[in-house]
Amino acid sequence: MASCYFYMAFIPKYILVLFLIIIIDYCAALIIEQLQGRMRLVCLVASLAANILLLGFFKYFNFVNENIEQFFLLFGKEYHSSPYDLILPIGLSFHTFQSMSYTIEVYRGRQKAEQHLGYFANYVLFFPQMVAGPIERYETLGTELKTEHRPVYENLSEGMRLVLFGLFVKMVIADNIAPYVNQIYLDPSKYSASEVLVAVFLFSFQIYADFFGYSTIAVGAARLLGIRIMDNFKTPYLSRSLTEFWTRWHISLSTWFRDYLYIPLGGNRVKIPRWSLNILIVFTVSGLWHGASWTFVVWGALHGIMLLLERYFSMALNFKVTKGWNFLNIFLVLKTLAVTSFIWIFFRAEDFEKVKQIFTALGKGFNRIPSNPSVSLSLFFIVVLILSDLVLYNSRFDKGVGRLKPAYRWSIYTLLIFCLFALSGAQKFTFIYFQF
Amino acid sequence: MVKKIVIRMVLLVFIITTLNFIYNSVFYEKDLKEHSKEQYDIKRLQPKTDIFYFGESSNITYTDSDSIKTSIADIMNFFFPSLQVTMINKSASHAGIFKHWLNCINLKENKPKALVVTLNLRSFDAAWIHSKLETPLQQSVVFTRHLPNLINRFALSLQAFDNKTDRQRDKAILKDWEKTKLRFPYNFKYNTVRQWDDGMAREGLYKADCSRDSSKTALACHYIKSYAFNITENNPRIKDFDAIADWCQKNQVKLYLNLLAENVEYADSLVGKELVFLMRQNRDFLVKRYSKNNCEVVDNLEWVPGRYYIDQNWTTEHYNYKGRMIIAKNLSESLKKQFKNKYIKAY
Repeated sequence: MASCYFYMAFIPKYILVLFLIIIIDYCAALIIEQLQGRMRLVCLVASLAANILLLGFFKYFNFVNENIEQFFLLFGKEYHSSPYDLILPIGLSFHTFQSMSYTIEVYRGRQKAEQHLGYFANYVLFFPQMVAGPIERYETLGTELKTEHRPVYENLSEGMRLVLFGLFVKMVIADNIAPYVNQIYLDPSKYSASEVLVAVFLFSFQIYADFFGYSTIAVGAARLLGIRIMDNFKTPYLSRSLTEFWTRWHISLSTWFRDYLYIPLGGNRVKIPRWSLNILIVFTVSGLWHGASWTFVVWGALHGIMLLLERYFSMALNFKVTKGWNFLNIFLVLKTLAVTSFIWIFFRAEDFEKVKQIFTALGKGFNRIPSNPSVSLSLFFIVVLILSDLVLYNSRFDKGVGRLKPAYRWSIYTLLIFCLFALSGAQKFTFIYFQF
Repeated sequence: MVKKIVIRMVLLVFIITTLNFIYNSVFYEKDLKEHSKEQYDIKRLQPKTDIFYFGESSNITYTDSDSIKTSIADIMNFFFPSLQVTMINKSASHAGIFKHWLNCINLKENKPKALVVTLNLRSFDAAWIHSKLETPLQQSVVFTRHLPNLINRFALSLQAFDNKTDRQRDKAILKDWEKTKLRFPYNFKYNTVRQWDDGMAREGLYKADCSRDSSKTALACHYIKSYAFNITENNPRIKDFDAIADWCQKNQVKLYLNLLAENVEYADSLVGKELVFLMRQNRDFLVKRYSKNNCEVVDNLEWVPGRYYIDQNWTTEHYNYKGRMIIAKNLSESLKKQFKNKYIKAY
């Protein structure tokens, strides 16, 4: 009920879309479990198609129509479609993927179909992660939701720590970076190369702080209820390669695509050309999942291409990434950061015209350094974020802080609370991933 | 577990109290300047203020052809040179914002002798009540809340104020225009703003050569949407003005409501007598309601001739110098009763 109330705070009638997804996948899973042979596959495909159609209708309808129009224009013919003024139901991409994973697992026989509609509905609707993930599997979240949870002090304490840290990362770091980035992306042609370059790198940290902050709040909120959900980020900008980056960034989506698209396509147990194609398909689809625009598709495809290039070089040079923090690894981390930052341009820009403007501006002289006071504040908080990533490398805030003596621990809380209350961004910036 | 939680809650309250103290001494003033300039000005200028003038763009909009670019408040000040009139302006602001500004006046420090508040007829209309500009306006008064400043700063970041989306606000305007019935003492063919607007758009206005005058028709529709309403006690602005009047009554500060002039003659020529009837009826309602105790309504509604309006193709209360002078003179005439010895015949 709490989840329904939470969801209906946006557009109440959209709860019906969610109910439809729940009913479709709940019934599909029960039927799949009863059936044998080919009919199981037919039922799975029908369920997946229904999910994808729903997602497609809300998210891609206008995009597809626009492209059909463009396609007809290529042949000198006109095709007119009236665009729908549809608002995407919040988090639709996330819960359709979460719900689909359940049906696929039931089909594969790894998951028993849930008999109780309430438990399954709670899995799709679970409010801490319903808006922007993490995309959970029924095996883990379903089990957690079925277990009786009593208030335990450790859960409350760790949950509050995560919520506090998540709020700090989102409201203090991401929301203080946003004004400068927005200003530059509004009209890049007005700015010098150095100003645009700073914005390009700042956006990398803005989107990280924004999504990581949200995910940490989601994990913390679930933890307050005694429920453990997966971490979506593990210090991604300390990755030495793009392959490693994708094991640390939006982990729940990466693993979804790995399990339900990459591996079914053959994964890496195929010849190199086919494997390369698999990688490209996965990343392109991942780009399209993010948004109904060719810029997102190119963003995904570029990640695929860069990852392939990286792997070809490694294979050709027989190069293997070592552990530890040596000079080479620091260089590799910076290289990965630079590559992802430039690819983020396609993610952030509204259209290719804007992408062109950004790259044109980057080709201009570095004659003007950014003088905006918000840049200094942003840079300061980015240093804080990098330092916290270094300290918490392969760990998490609640665990890291939990190990400290109370005096140090409370000093950190005090500092975070002060920054949160006094220094967080004052303009309205919704979570970037809420649009997906 | 309960004991542990209570201890930590107490500790948290202590920490926030200490942080509030630090915030007040280090960041508060800078934040006030950045996010609530009007409040900052009130606090800064109050010690030497005799009369506060709370206004919106009507006070400070000038035209290139103006021989003197002086605000209404400043012209008014010419009539009382020995008094300090302090104007606090914010475009599109209204009584709902002005009442928050009152919270910033420290009566112990220096009580103002009078308060002049802009009373804009259009601000009672659905389009202004649900305007998209309401979000930044509400944001600008977060610091006026009677809460610790650190909490107000956090509320600002959390967007904890009337923060509806543009879509929601547009919907509210349309709903109001569609549902609210217009009341006339005689039969009129249109019952709602929506019907009237549609009717005007359908029938249209015509030029001398009998061709449709699209721009005038559009302007007539706009006049209908701006002035066709009946002010009732349920109008949120009435509640806001009531709060302002109560504050002045309680603190013995004389209140002058500056009912701004509207281009009534143009409304008449464009739309007709029904619209003028509503404008006058609303004026009468406001004058009757607020002409009591230590409150006075300075009725300028029909005082400024149409040619003195800067925006001839839109409904605004932006006057050229002559228009601003008329308003200021009328205000001065009313203030003269209170500040008889301070008045000089400046013009």
